[in-house]
Amino acid sequence: MKPAPFAYCRPDSVAEAVEVLASSESSRVLAGGQSLIPAMNFRLTDVSVLVDIRAIAGLDSVTVDADGVTVGAAATQSRVLADAGAARAVPGLRAALRHVGHLQIRNRGTVCGSLAHADPAAELPALAVATDARIRVTGPGGRREIAARDFFCGPFWTALEDGELVTEAWFPATRPDSVTVVDELARRAGDFAVAGLVAMIDASDGAVRTSRLVGFGVGGAPLRLGSAEAALAGWSAGRPTADIEQAAAADCADAFDDIHATSWYRREAVAALVLRAARTALAAKEQL
Amino acid sequence: MTSEALTEVAVGITVNGRLSRHRVPARLLLSDYIRDVAGLTGTHVGCEHGYCGSCTVIVDGDAVRSCLMLAAQADGAEIRTVEDLADSATGALSPMQQAFHDHHALQCGFCTAGFLMTLESVDPAEWRSPERTVELLSGNLCRCTGYQNITEAVAAAWSTNHEEGGTQHG
Repeated sequence: MKPAPFAYCRPDSVAEAVEVLASSESSRVLAGGQSLIPAMNFRLTDVSVLVDIRAIAGLDSVTVDADGVTVGAAATQSRVLADAGAARAVPGLRAALRHVGHLQIRNRGTVCGSLAHADPAAELPALAVATDARIRVTGPGGRREIAARDFFCGPFWTALEDGELVTEAWFPATRPDSVTVVDELARRAGDFAVAGLVAMIDASDGAVRTSRLVGFGVGGAPLRLGSAEAALAGWSAGRPTADIEQAAAADCADAFDDIHATSWYRREAVAALVLRAARTALAAKEQL
Repeated sequence: MTSEALTEVAVGITVNGRLSRHRVPARLLLSDYIRDVAGLTGTHVGCEHGYCGSCTVIVDGDAVRSCLMLAAQADGAEIRTVEDLADSATGALSPMQQAFHDHHALQCGFCTAGFLMTLESVDPAEWRSPERTVELLSGNLCRCTGYQNITEAVAAAWSTNHEEGGTQHG
């Protein structure tokens, strides 16, 4: 289908964009449009004004320094995926982006757009929570910074207020001794995950020390798997896994049923992904 | 452009080397601009929500689903469509088009333009391995061939044409 009529503007500055966004209740930010335009084509989303932010100077930058990676709101997923410096500083960015959509989608889709869209099955919101990313926004009330763990409220629901625009996301540099694994079960490469996991694992002497585990596709928002993190501490390959699997399944007790999988299947899938990530991290450590 | 919100937008878009200027509805999709305004019907519209990849074109060097982009967003962009692949003077097919023909990599042909533009946009050195080729083609749906002949065509075209993704005309 075609989108219903709307008005379009392409402001030159963040201030102008915020002014237009605040002036209409059903205004929406257009960055890559790879989720918004299909929703408009389906007439699932009612939009009166589209505010295209790609002409705003500097918004497409990707900056890497010792502290981390700053991704501007208009920076495409392909651009971040190709950035070797960003991949060194935050390996999870490349690991997650490899799973995001297809080449044609990543060429237009943006990292910040995926965060603002907050699809419960998307990889990047889970990565943001796992890495303690911070989302920087500008709105009628000025600028503020929101921790990723406070940003995602539910399916397609964030802490963004009316008139606020995400200007950039900052991902802190991953410690070099931590291994990041992004893994998911999907019907086809590039499809949304039935269930997925971002794992950041510290290991030494062949055993997991600490981990940060965030599931996606198993709840309304990225889900921190606290029980599984506790159960995984001290684990090494060959040791029993039942406690870890039970803990991971318990963390995902509210996983939903849909046409693709039952809640039970999703819980089992996440448990399997946690063990797979732990084995991958331990193997990666051995090779260092 | 200013921050004034308009339901009709003036755009200047270069398609296959020719720049045209039009006033178009803000809601006009790039796929419909290419077919109905530029009159180039080689770009096919399948699902119109970004799933099938039939409408893939090249925008400023990158493969893009033209049904997920507004004509307004393409203002100032350079677009290449399937009509740009064959040699306009002689009609000779591009190496990839010829390989599709030789390997029977299409049946109904509806998806073919999308496949060709995806393939045209990339560096074969990065995508030549069988696993990477399959990953690349996962963004384009074909319901006739089962992909076997398509991957054979790609392997053939890229084995004899190591340095370029295809010919560059126009």
